[in-house]
Amino acid sequence: MKRNLYFIWLTGIIFMVTTGCKKNNLNSTGQPVVQAYLLAGHPITVNLYQQKSLTDTANYGPAITGQQLYISDGSKQIQLTETTKGTYTSNDSTFLVSGKTYSLSFKYLSQTVSAKTVMPYKPQNFQTQYGQVYYENDKNTTRGEIDTLNKFTWDNPDSLNHVLVFDNIEKTTLPLRAGIISNSGSYQFIMQADRKSVYFVESDSFPYYGNFQVVLLSVNQEYADLLKSNTLGSNSQNLLNTPTNVVNGIGIFTAFQSDTLSFILRY
Amino acid sequence: MKKLLLLIFLIICTCYANAQNTKQLLRKDTLNKFVSSPFDELLDTISVNYGLKIVFERDSLHRYDVVEHFFQEPLEDVLGFCCKKFNLHYWTDASGTVFIVKDVDDMQRLKQLAKTLKSPKSALKSKNPDGTPVEQDRGFDAMYEAEQKAAKLKQANASPPAAEGGGVGQKSKAVSTNKMSLQASQVDKTKSNSHLTVSGKVADMNSGLALPSATVRVRNTNLTVVANNDGNFTLFNVPADTCTLDVSYSGYQPDSFKLNPDLLQKPLVLSLLPALTTLNEVNIMGQKSGVMNTDVKKVGVLQLTPANLDKLPNLGEKDVMRAFQLMPGVGATNESSSGAYVRGGTPDQNLVTFDGFTIYQVDHLYGFFSAFNSNAIKEVQLFKGGFSAQYGGRLSSVTQISGKDGNTKQAAFGVDVSLLSLNAFMETPINDKSSLLMTFRRSYQGPFYDKIFHQFNTSTGGGFGGGAGGGGRGGFGQQTTPASHFYDADVRYNYRADQNDIFTWSFYSGEDNTDNSRQLELPSFLGGTAPDITDYTKYGNLASSLKWFRQWNKQLHSNTYITYSSYFNDRNRSTTGTTTDSNGNQTSFNNGTVENNNLKDVGLKSDWVWEMNNNFKLLYGGFTSFQHINYDYIQNDTSHLINQHNSAFSGGGYLEAEYDPTSALHVQPGIRATYYNPTSKVYVEPRLSASYVLNDNYTIKFATGQFYQFMNSVTRNDIANGNRNFWVLSNNNDIPVGRSRHLMGGVAYENDQFLIDVEGYYKWLSDLTQYNITQTGFGRGGGNPTVTEDFYTGSGRAKGIEVLVQKKLGQYTGWLSYTLANAENKFAIYGNNYYPADQDIRHEFKAINMYHDNRWNFSAVFIFSTGHPYTAPLSTYTLTGVDGNRTVYFNVSGKNAERLPDYHRLDLSATYDLLKISGDKIGSIGISLFNVYNHVNTWYKEYFIRNNAAVSTDVDYLGFTPNITLSLRFK
Repeated sequence: MKRNLYFIWLTGIIFMVTTGCKKNNLNSTGQPVVQAYLLAGHPITVNLYQQKSLTDTANYGPAITGQQLYISDGSKQIQLTETTKGTYTSNDSTFLVSGKTYSLSFKYLSQTVSAKTVMPYKPQNFQTQYGQVYYENDKNTTRGEIDTLNKFTWDNPDSLNHVLVFDNIEKTTLPLRAGIISNSGSYQFIMQADRKSVYFVESDSFPYYGNFQVVLLSVNQEYADLLKSNTLGSNSQNLLNTPTNVVNGIGIFTAFQSDTLSFILRY
Repeated sequence: MKKLLLLIFLIICTCYANAQNTKQLLRKDTLNKFVSSPFDELLDTISVNYGLKIVFERDSLHRYDVVEHFFQEPLEDVLGFCCKKFNLHYWTDASGTVFIVKDVDDMQRLKQLAKTLKSPKSALKSKNPDGTPVEQDRGFDAMYEAEQKAAKLKQANASPPAAEGGGVGQKSKAVSTNKMSLQASQVDKTKSNSHLTVSGKVADMNSGLALPSATVRVRNTNLTVVANNDGNFTLFNVPADTCTLDVSYSGYQPDSFKLNPDLLQKPLVLSLLPALTTLNEVNIMGQKSGVMNTDVKKVGVLQLTPANLDKLPNLGEKDVMRAFQLMPGVGATNESSSGAYVRGGTPDQNLVTFDGFTIYQVDHLYGFFSAFNSNAIKEVQLFKGGFSAQYGGRLSSVTQISGKDGNTKQAAFGVDVSLLSLNAFMETPINDKSSLLMTFRRSYQGPFYDKIFHQFNTSTGGGFGGGAGGGGRGGFGQQTTPASHFYDADVRYNYRADQNDIFTWSFYSGEDNTDNSRQLELPSFLGGTAPDITDYTKYGNLASSLKWFRQWNKQLHSNTYITYSSYFNDRNRSTTGTTTDSNGNQTSFNNGTVENNNLKDVGLKSDWVWEMNNNFKLLYGGFTSFQHINYDYIQNDTSHLINQHNSAFSGGGYLEAEYDPTSALHVQPGIRATYYNPTSKVYVEPRLSASYVLNDNYTIKFATGQFYQFMNSVTRNDIANGNRNFWVLSNNNDIPVGRSRHLMGGVAYENDQFLIDVEGYYKWLSDLTQYNITQTGFGRGGGNPTVTEDFYTGSGRAKGIEVLVQKKLGQYTGWLSYTLANAENKFAIYGNNYYPADQDIRHEFKAINMYHDNRWNFSAVFIFSTGHPYTAPLSTYTLTGVDGNRTVYFNVSGKNAERLPDYHRLDLSATYDLLKISGDKIGSIGISLFNVYNHVNTWYKEYFIRNNAAVSTDVDYLGFTPNITLSLRFK
């Protein structure tokens, strides 16, 4: 009996030693938030913020000032200038060109923060099937039978990610359906086209009538990932970190190119 | 539903009529006499004149005077009349002795004292010349019929018809032939056969029901066998055909049966009488007698007989799955899932079979109650790991549920009523070859039901619910409570074609249904008709099996099954209607989501057992199955977001040996091979278990093996509408065939009073699957939704030590359970390191205390565990998108890096047994108090962004909840 009790205790102690609690390293809340959208042929703007505490209701965290930010294209490196608090810019609009890889780096709280992105090529042959469409939603059709209103196409031989931004530039908006509140001022929404070369817009997609600027963006995977992350709400059983391509930091450092055309949805 | 209830009522009435014809104990002899004497003297008279052994406390009974004229009244009625008059009970034990008791606890004392009584003849001699008995110093006396009671042994029921006659009246017949058997045994002693093979069946004397796991021991030898699931047993090398068999089983009076050569020519049925249920009967070491039992000679095997479940606290239903959660190694803190979290495994890694078919939906009411009606269950076994080659298809554990055969001797029915549900059953012999059992259970929507419903449904999304099977509650968040109920029904028909062939048809149907469909009320100034909102969810399982048991010879028997199981989980939330504009034009609309997941499983399997001798048994068999899974997720009628239709065919076989090279050593090697069509591969699973009996008290045990799983339950997270679980089949693409390896060992110490069982385990898991779905395309006011499905593959490991200390005997019984465990997963999506799995619990302590005092049973169950791990947001940050809109994101802790507060609660219950004068239990009334001190146990946390800030809300489990249950049984 005694010998067996020893055996039990010994096994227990060995188990406890081998399974002793290991504290996981928490993601640092001190890491900087980086936000930069690089557009070929345009000046560069990078915003740096601190993260916010959970109860903070401010739009953004406090700006991170006094940093020395560098962007390199592999052969040339430029330093950004802090124009306003937390906003670092470069007016060199020739630095960003298609096909090059750009790296951001700076030292923050003794850590090197870095991120990398590739400038995609400008979308080619972006076209709309119709310049304007008359649509009435009072026909005796069910909403389940959604009408296809328009088709946008572009070339995409390499199956790159694209998104479409619809910018309603009316001063006041006219709702397409009952139940949608009128909106004053411009209104945008974004549609993901994934890696396709065509996008059908349907009546269900439009909340409002009006004149839309349709911007086709050729985007990188890091931005597609960010768009797909669920931000509607979450719980402790399924909470995931938002995807980021910033090392030792969070946020987004990405590049895109765009082409724009117009589309009018009339009543 | 009404038709079904009517049918049950009609059948019950028919059964009751049959019950009147059933012979009862002491019914054949009558008393025709004017009696005017103390009760003890009347008992003496009956004892002497009718040859009955009656044990009672003379002092107590001498106070009661009986003045009554009995006109040819059966002795049963005489005893019943007197006992009722004096508030006593009589009770007949297996040997035919009648005990007269004031309280049921007197039984134990009377039984022990009865053993010390002098022989019947001397008892007769001790009478005074005037016929009155001499007062005994011990304060009690007993009278015998000399010839009959000299031999305590009773002859086994010689044939099924005799056994089916039932009751004590038949037993008297058996006893009266006992002299013959004794004489025969003396005559035959010289020519007894050696190395006999004896096979038979252990059954309930009253109902004829088989008693699985009953222990049969050849007296004065080491030959012991445990009856199989059908109550059958085979003993080899029995030294003589005149040996005595000692038989014992939980909840029954141990009994002995004397063999003789004539008996062995016929089917041997060893019938046991039920024990007085409120008593803790005399225990034999190793015998299973408690509410919950462990097999000390096997690693990780738990056995449960539902009959004793009413001794534990319950929330409306005696729950077999919840009961297992009180044992070490089975997680007890998941109120939202009745599924078994066994040794770091998840419920979908636990195979649940009921009469051979697989049940995929194992719980009701968002996981709070298990889907199995305890009245339909004969026995449940849970294999916590390292299980036999007979089972496969799951990584963690096996729960095998055996349905109850119908009563083959007399009709019986019963009803359980609680604040939650109505539960009725009936069982009856159809003819001399077949019997039927039917059970039906349905919840009703009282305050108690609504409380639980709301607990799991207070949605912030206001959408549609249905978080079946754990992980995320549903979303019926409306102000009004939707119509909701669950039901399940079991039917089991047993047909004994001949001595060797038994056919059993089993049917199960269970469903949860919530319907919140309604018409929206519109203000009168809005045109059009009011929209109809279809809003329902239903999920459940429909299954059936046909089993053929065949006893080919004394050594070989087989069970062959044809099985069918259908799982469904459907949700429909859509709004239809018309609107009218100012011009009078009408627009009809239909929007919403429809989500259906269903699984069909058809199988054929055959299990064979070849018992070569006492030391060697071969188990082998084959199986094949076809599964088909549909999963559709449709939005606004046209957008088919998910559209999966997959099928799988699998087949294989297994071979296992049970070898006992010595009486102390048991070795069980096995191998199982499965061909799985979607991957076109053969999966081989070697298994090995062994045990070694060190001495009378100590046993060491060990098991290892490899296990594969070909289907998984994955969760689609849905914040607004409640998570949805659905089943997917492994394939060659993104869902691999899961694999685990177990290594388990333990040591058990057992004596008459206590059992101490310590087991440790380590499990390696690989090719686990997790699922994530991302829906995009929601613009303000709508947009083309698209769904991205991602299946992630990862690995896991689990280890732990379990300690069980069980007190088996006495007024106070119960057990303490402690588990120290660790379960980790590694999925690339969460990083390159192992993190605590969702089900990881470091410490879990459970104290189950039961105390009985006469007809009262009290229990207190205390559960403590460290909190579940969870993922928490640490901070927020804002990014502006290319469209100019701001979005607030969470910066999240490491996966499951935080722990919820410790979980603990205390449940109490008190049950009062309702007994007939004859001591038979006819029911009970009980009160249960769940979470007595109303401790707030957190289920999970919800996070939202409001006004740029993160809002965290705790979602809690159930607080203090009382319940009352009334159970009645009729024959």
